[in-house]
Amino acid sequence: MSPWSAAPLFAALASSSLVEVARGQLASAAAPAPATARSVELSLSASPARLILKAGVPTPVFSYNGTVPGPTLDLREGDNVTIRFRNELPVATTVHWHGFHLPFESDGSPFHPVAPGETYEYRFTVPPGTAGTYWYHPHPDHSTGAQVARGLYGAIIVRAADDPLAALPEQVLILSDNRLTPEGEIDFPDPHSMHGRRDRENGREGELLLVNGKVLPTLTIRSGEVQRWRVINASAGRSYRLALAGQTLLHVGSDGGLFERPVEVSELLVSPSERVEFLVRGSGAPGSSTALQALPYDRYVPQTRPENWNEVRNLATLEYTSEPPMTPPPLPATLRKVEPIDTTLATATRVIVLGQGLINGKVMDMSRVDVSTTVGATEIWQVENVVGMDHPFHLHGFRFQVLDRNGVPEPFLSWKDMVNVPKHETVRFIVTYDDFPGKWMFHCHILDHEDHGMMGVLEIRGDPQVAR
Amino acid sequence: MGTTRWLGAVAGVGLLGTVVALVSRPLEGRPVGEVEAAVDSQVLLGRQLVISHACGDCHGGMNNPEATGWLAGLTDTLQQFRVGPFITRPRNLTPDNTTGLGRFSERQIFNALRYGLRPGETPDVEITGTAPGVGNFPEIPKYLAVPMPWPSWRHMSDEELRAIAAYLKRGLKPVVNKVEDSDGPPDFWASEYTEEKIGKYPAAPYPTANEQ
Repeated sequence: MSPWSAAPLFAALASSSLVEVARGQLASAAAPAPATARSVELSLSASPARLILKAGVPTPVFSYNGTVPGPTLDLREGDNVTIRFRNELPVATTVHWHGFHLPFESDGSPFHPVAPGETYEYRFTVPPGTAGTYWYHPHPDHSTGAQVARGLYGAIIVRAADDPLAALPEQVLILSDNRLTPEGEIDFPDPHSMHGRRDRENGREGELLLVNGKVLPTLTIRSGEVQRWRVINASAGRSYRLALAGQTLLHVGSDGGLFERPVEVSELLVSPSERVEFLVRGSGAPGSSTALQALPYDRYVPQTRPENWNEVRNLATLEYTSEPPMTPPPLPATLRKVEPIDTTLATATRVIVLGQGLINGKVMDMSRVDVSTTVGATEIWQVENVVGMDHPFHLHGFRFQVLDRNGVPEPFLSWKDMVNVPKHETVRFIVTYDDFPGKWMFHCHILDHEDHGMMGVLEIRGDPQVAR
Repeated sequence: MGTTRWLGAVAGVGLLGTVVALVSRPLEGRPVGEVEAAVDSQVLLGRQLVISHACGDCHGGMNNPEATGWLAGLTDTLQQFRVGPFITRPRNLTPDNTTGLGRFSERQIFNALRYGLRPGETPDVEITGTAPGVGNFPEIPKYLAVPMPWPSWRHMSDEELRAIAAYLKRGLKPVVNKVEDSDGPPDFWASEYTEEKIGKYPAAPYPTANEQ
């Protein structure tokens, strides 16, 4: 049994009012969203817990509502959400609703820390058109990586009333990795040690590759069946070049939900904090099996590239049941309309230069504003990576559309809040700040980079721009 | 190493004309016909220093600014160095934004030449110390790959180093040439660039015991 599959010892903490999709199991098909908006009130706590990660040795972890990963939030477009959060940790934390468009005060950024013993109420409405796969995690100043590594992360699913794939059974797969000391504790080396320096350079990686907190779990599918998989990369630094051995995938969505039409792919790169949705078609024979794999991907600088970076790693086993093949369900040729942001509305191009641990040559300073604009503006961000390591870039609060990567136009429209910027390449995206004044973070989502200052502040002032 | 270096550099130059399809872009904002007038004395001093200090021997073009691949970095593996188990790949010094020095400030380039600090990984600030943790000198510095001779060149004057930075940023045309980072130890050569190994900056006052 996987060391991460053990139940929390503090089972009492697991009680939750959150709607939880069974992680790693087939979830029931989504119920259609009602015509009227729901009020959803949830309680969430972050607290210390102990898990049996290594035989006979309890490991101190942090958990949301007593579980690792935390409970999955199953929301619908239009939901009016109130989440009452209580910090039962010995350290300050926040809860960042990654990818959500919400008021500044509810973003869970470092600007709104929740001290030990305190509570905080996160309130937001899930906008229409934002159905997709998201996640939540802490975002305190300088210690996001450590808190996520200790177990603070969970999935969020937002469903649309007119989801064309709603009838398909689905799986939510949260990918993460970790590393334990010989004593069974989560390994945080001395930052001045060579191991610590590698973590800081690469983002902390571990040899334990986890899917929903389990090592090499078994997923099942019936021959002929089509499943919708929602994959979230919750790793601090590891990118996953995903493939299902012997099968192609039907890529249907990204961070912010479905594309306009499915795209057949043989593999998908999922950088830290990115999400992908794809359909797995049960083309195997009854009783056979295959593997969800992470293929080699060189995102590293040579100096700290892991020796085993080019090994293929199995993440999960996909077993075909012994049932006779079923007739595959018909799949829609089109998924939804994705309206392009009008590039002629762009009033500025923001050049963001990614160094190693730096943005525009600077280390994060929360008292500094790096980009200033107004509500209503549409702008292009030109994100240039000038060093020899990939940097996955995240903008808080506002979804965007990638225009081109290294000059090559994006082949299809999609909504993103993360984009990987490969070594010495440029990505341009367009964004409209349609609401919510405040100070919004933008940063590299390699958590060690973010914690060491590879982050900036976008200030959106409330004086709406005059319409052009 | 020295033999490998020079053999590599010489052989590399021989191949430069046939190896690469480098894409160049015109300098912007410089009126046609006024190129000479636009070149300031700082850039010209930098050019002289770059030529006379053999930058092109490793970074392309030897000492000939007319050569294809002038300072555009590694274009053939014969230009690279083997340093123990590591390979050093001379980087693109032209002001292309993502593959060269285009997005680095002249101060960052100055800090690379004076202190050996990698410009993409060191904040764009005036360095106020001369050793790790002193002043704002990075506590965990990341240095340029061996054998970049910054421990010698740091002893040039501020004016000279700034002139080199000015020439690289404002005197060259950008060339798109993506060079993979050099190999190296995970401490980015910090253990090799201690005061015990490379001496002090500024150098000890004249005369030392070796001098008269």
